[in-house]
Amino acid sequence: MLIYLHIPFCDSKCYYCAFNSYVDKFDLKTKYMQAITKQLQFELSLFKPAKNSIKSLFIGGGTPSTVEAKLYERFFEILKPYLKKSAEITTEANPNSASLQWQQEMMALGVNRISFGVQSFDDKKLKFLGRNHNKKTALQAILNAKKAGFENISMDLIYGTAKDTKMLLLNDLKIVKSLPINHLSAYSLTIEKNTPFFQTPDVANDSLVLAKFFTKEIKNAGFPQYEISNFGSYQSIHNLGYWAQDDYMGVGSGAVGFLKDSRFYPCKNIEKYIQNPQNRQIENLSKEALHVESIFLGLRCKLGVKLANFNQKELEKINILLNSGKLRQLNDRIYNSDYFLSDEITLFITD
Amino acid sequence: MSKQSNIRNFSIIAHIDHGKSTLADRLIQECGAVSERELGVQMMDTMDIEKERGITIKAQSVRLDYVKDGEHYILNLIDTPGHVDFSYEVSRSLASSDGALLIVDASQGVEAQTIANVYIALENDLELIPVINKIDLPAADPDRVKEEIEHTIGLDCTDALEVSAKSGIGVKELLDAIIKRIPAPEGDKNAPTKAIIYDSWFDNYLGALALVRVYDGQIHKGQEIYVMGTKKKHEVLNLMYPHPLALKKTKQIKTGEVGIVVLGLKNIGDVQVGDTITDNKNKTAHAIKGLEEVKSFVFAGLYPIETDKFEDLRDALDKLKLNDSSISYEPETSVALGFGFRVGFLGLLHMEVVKERLEREFGLDLIATAPTVTYRVEKTGGDILEIQNPSQLPPVNEIEKIMEPYVKATILTPTEFLGNVITLLNTKRAIQEKMDYLSVDRVLLEYSIPMNEIVMDFYDKLKSVTKGYASFDYDQSGYKEGDLVKLDVLVAGEVVDALSIIVPKQNAQSRGRDFVKAMKEIVPRQLFEVAIQASIGNKVIARETVKSMGKNVTAKCYGGDITRKRKLLEKQKAGKKRMKSIGRVQLPQEAFLTVLKLD
Repeated sequence: MLIYLHIPFCDSKCYYCAFNSYVDKFDLKTKYMQAITKQLQFELSLFKPAKNSIKSLFIGGGTPSTVEAKLYERFFEILKPYLKKSAEITTEANPNSASLQWQQEMMALGVNRISFGVQSFDDKKLKFLGRNHNKKTALQAILNAKKAGFENISMDLIYGTAKDTKMLLLNDLKIVKSLPINHLSAYSLTIEKNTPFFQTPDVANDSLVLAKFFTKEIKNAGFPQYEISNFGSYQSIHNLGYWAQDDYMGVGSGAVGFLKDSRFYPCKNIEKYIQNPQNRQIENLSKEALHVESIFLGLRCKLGVKLANFNQKELEKINILLNSGKLRQLNDRIYNSDYFLSDEITLFITD
Repeated sequence: MSKQSNIRNFSIIAHIDHGKSTLADRLIQECGAVSERELGVQMMDTMDIEKERGITIKAQSVRLDYVKDGEHYILNLIDTPGHVDFSYEVSRSLASSDGALLIVDASQGVEAQTIANVYIALENDLELIPVINKIDLPAADPDRVKEEIEHTIGLDCTDALEVSAKSGIGVKELLDAIIKRIPAPEGDKNAPTKAIIYDSWFDNYLGALALVRVYDGQIHKGQEIYVMGTKKKHEVLNLMYPHPLALKKTKQIKTGEVGIVVLGLKNIGDVQVGDTITDNKNKTAHAIKGLEEVKSFVFAGLYPIETDKFEDLRDALDKLKLNDSSISYEPETSVALGFGFRVGFLGLLHMEVVKERLEREFGLDLIATAPTVTYRVEKTGGDILEIQNPSQLPPVNEIEKIMEPYVKATILTPTEFLGNVITLLNTKRAIQEKMDYLSVDRVLLEYSIPMNEIVMDFYDKLKSVTKGYASFDYDQSGYKEGDLVKLDVLVAGEVVDALSIIVPKQNAQSRGRDFVKAMKEIVPRQLFEVAIQASIGNKVIARETVKSMGKNVTAKCYGGDITRKRKLLEKQKAGKKRMKSIGRVQLPQEAFLTVLKLD
C-alpha cells in the first residue's frame, strides 16, 4: 500500500499547470493541515493497513514547501506506526521555498527523499513556463538537499516546449550530471484545459526527434529509463507502486485514492474540503477498465504485463507485436520495446 | 369562397443560385402568409441539409391568398429544386402547374439548367413568364439577358418582368402578371374525382402523406377514395393546404386546387408519385398519364463501420425511402467491409446527402464506396451482365466487351474559360457535338461524355476551371463500348474489394499511380508500415508506403489520477472506432472515396 498527500498551495501558478492548487488562501493553511489529519484517520479506518506495511508516502502538490514543516508533524505522528521501517518518504519541493531549514526539518520528520520541480536550468525557458525560480536558486536548493543529508534527490525537467533545442536540452543535462541526484523525471509539455497555455497551443513542440534525442541523452548521462518519463539509478517505490496497481490512500484536496476496484476523489474545493475532509466522490472501476489500465501502465514502464492477463483475441494481437519486435517476451510477461508507442500498442491490443 | 377561375398554379424554375428560393420567400411574404419576423433563412428550404448547403432538394408547395381589385385569388406556388441531381423533382412540380416563372439572374444570364428546365416546362405546355432577377446588382444587364433568353430559348421577352427578390422591387407587378398571364386550371367540378399525386412523404405523426393536384371533381374529408395504380381504397382522414410553417386544415380540396391528403397509411408505396386518386364509388374513366419513374444511375456501397449495425442500416434505408423514393438499394457483401447495401442515387450530390442523412438522422457511422455507373458486360458465352459494383466484374478472359453509359451534356461558359473547359473535357474522354456562340462572350457546348467521367466530381472541376461561371446539365444517352479494365487496390498485400474501380485502359497506369498517392495522404500512420499498391489483373503497377508511427504516448505526470489517463486513451479509441480494420491496418472512411480525390 502507498499513500499520497496533496498540498494545494503554490506561491505562483505555472502557465502549463492544471493541478489543484491555490496561490491565495494562505490563511487556510493551518486549518487545511488539520483537515488532512482528520481525513488520514478516516482513510486508515477504511484501508485498514497493517502496522509497518505502507511502503511509500509521497507529498506532492501544489508545492509542499509552501507549508512550514511543523504543520506536518501531526500527520506524521498518526501515520508513523503504519509506515514500513524502510518506507520511501518523498516530498516535492520548489527551489524557491525549500530553504535549507525547511529541508532539515522535513528530514527530521522522516522524509528521506526530495524531488525538486526544476523543469530547466535555462532562465529564459523558466520564465516562458511561468516558473518563479531561476537557475541559481535551483542549484542552491539541490546543494542544500545534499547538505541536509538527503541521499535520494530527484528533479523534474520539462521538454517539448517551443523554446527547446538540442543545445538547450544538452546544457540542462550537463548541469544535471554535475549534481548529486540519482533520479530524474522528464515530462513532455502537455497543453491542458484551464491553463494559460491552452490559449496558445503553439508553445508546445511535439517533435519526435527531439523527444527521442533527449531520452537517449538522459540515459547516456547515467540515468537508466524505467518508465516513459522516469529515469534513475534509484527507482521510485511510489511510482512503481502506481504502475503495479497497488492500493493507495489519497489524502488532501485534489488527491486521488485507489482501493481494489474503486477510486476516491476528495473535494477539490479547499473550503469544502476543510469543512468535511471525509467527503469524497467514488468511481467504481469495471473489470474492463482495470484491465486496460494494467496494460497501458505495464507497457509504459519496465514492469511489463503478465501474459495470463490477456484473453484469446488479445493474445493474437500480441503475437503479431512479438513477431514484429514491438514487444518482447521474458518468462511469463511481455515488455514494450518502445515506450513512445505504448498508447498505440494498448489501442492495438484492446481494439 | 374561391372560384376555380381565381386559382393559379405555378412553379418557379431557375438555375441554382439565381434566387429562386429568395423569390419564393418574397412572394409568400407579400401575400401575408408569414410575417417579416417569421421569414427566417430560406423559408422553403426546410431540411437541415438544405439550409446548410444552400440548395433545395425536396420541392415544397405553399398556398397563398392574394386580393387584387376586390377579387380574391388563390396562388399555389410549387417550388422546385435547382441542382442537376434533382431534376426529376422539377418534372413533377411542373406537371402539376399551369404556368411557371422562369427566373434568370440579371448579371449571369441563361445557364445550362435554365435551358433544361424550360424544355421540361414546354413539354408540359406551361405558360412561361420570364423574370429577370437581381436587377439591383451593379453588374445587372437585363437587356442583354433578355436578348440571350430570346436567342437561346426563343421565348419572347417583351413583357419580361424585372425584379429584385431581395429588396422587393417589382414583386407586386410580378403577382399581377401571375394572375393576368397564367391560366386558371381547367377541369370539371361535376365530374368524378380525379387527382394526381405529385409528391409524397412520410410524417412521423400523420403517416404517409400525398400532395395532390385535383383535376376534376373534388376530394372531401371522409370520402372513400381509390388509388388507381395500387388498386386500393382508403378513407380520407384529413385534408390540408400546404404551408411551410403551419399546414391549414380544410374540409375539401376543390377542382384545380392543390392540397395534402391524409390517409393514415404506414406504407408510402400506397401513395406513389404519379398515381391517380379517384372516388371509390364513382370512378373516373381514365387515370392521368403517370409521371416518368425516377431511375437511379449512380451506385455505391454503403456499409456500417460496426458490422453488427447491418440491420440498423436496413431499417434506416427503409425509413429514408419513405421520404426519398428516388433511392434504391439491395443487400450486398464485401470481403473487406462485410454486409452492406448497394444503393442507387440520382447523382453524387444526392449520394452525399443520403449518406449524411443516414448518419445524422439515424446515428449510423457509414463507409461509402466509390460511386459507379451501371456497366453492361457481354460475356464470351453471350450472357449479358449488368454490373453496379466493380468487384463483380468477371475475369478478363470471360469478357467479350464492356459497354458503358453515356450522357449528352450541355455546358454554358464565358468564352474566356472556353480553353479550360475544353481541356477538362478532353481528359474526360468527351466528344464534342456542338459549339454555339450565344454572344461574343458566351458559348454553348454540347458533348457526349461517358457517364462514369461525370458522376465523380466533374461539376466541381468545371466550376473551378471557370471560376464558378460555367453551368452544366445532362441527359442519359445510351450505351457505347468502352476499353475498360478493373483497377484493384492492395493494402498490406491484400486486395480490398471495396476499393476496386473500373477505369479506361488508356489511363489505367496513371490512375493507379494517382490512386495510391492519394491513399497515402489519407491513411494515417499506424504501428506498422503499410504498403498500398495498385494492380491490374495480377500485375502491380504502382506502390506507396505509409511509414510506421513514431510516437503515441502521454509522457505526462498524472500521479494517481490514472482514470484521467485512461479516459484520454478511451477518447482515442472512440476515434479509431470510426475507422475500418482490414487485417491489422485501419482505414479511415474517406479512404474508400479516394477515387473522388483524383484529377
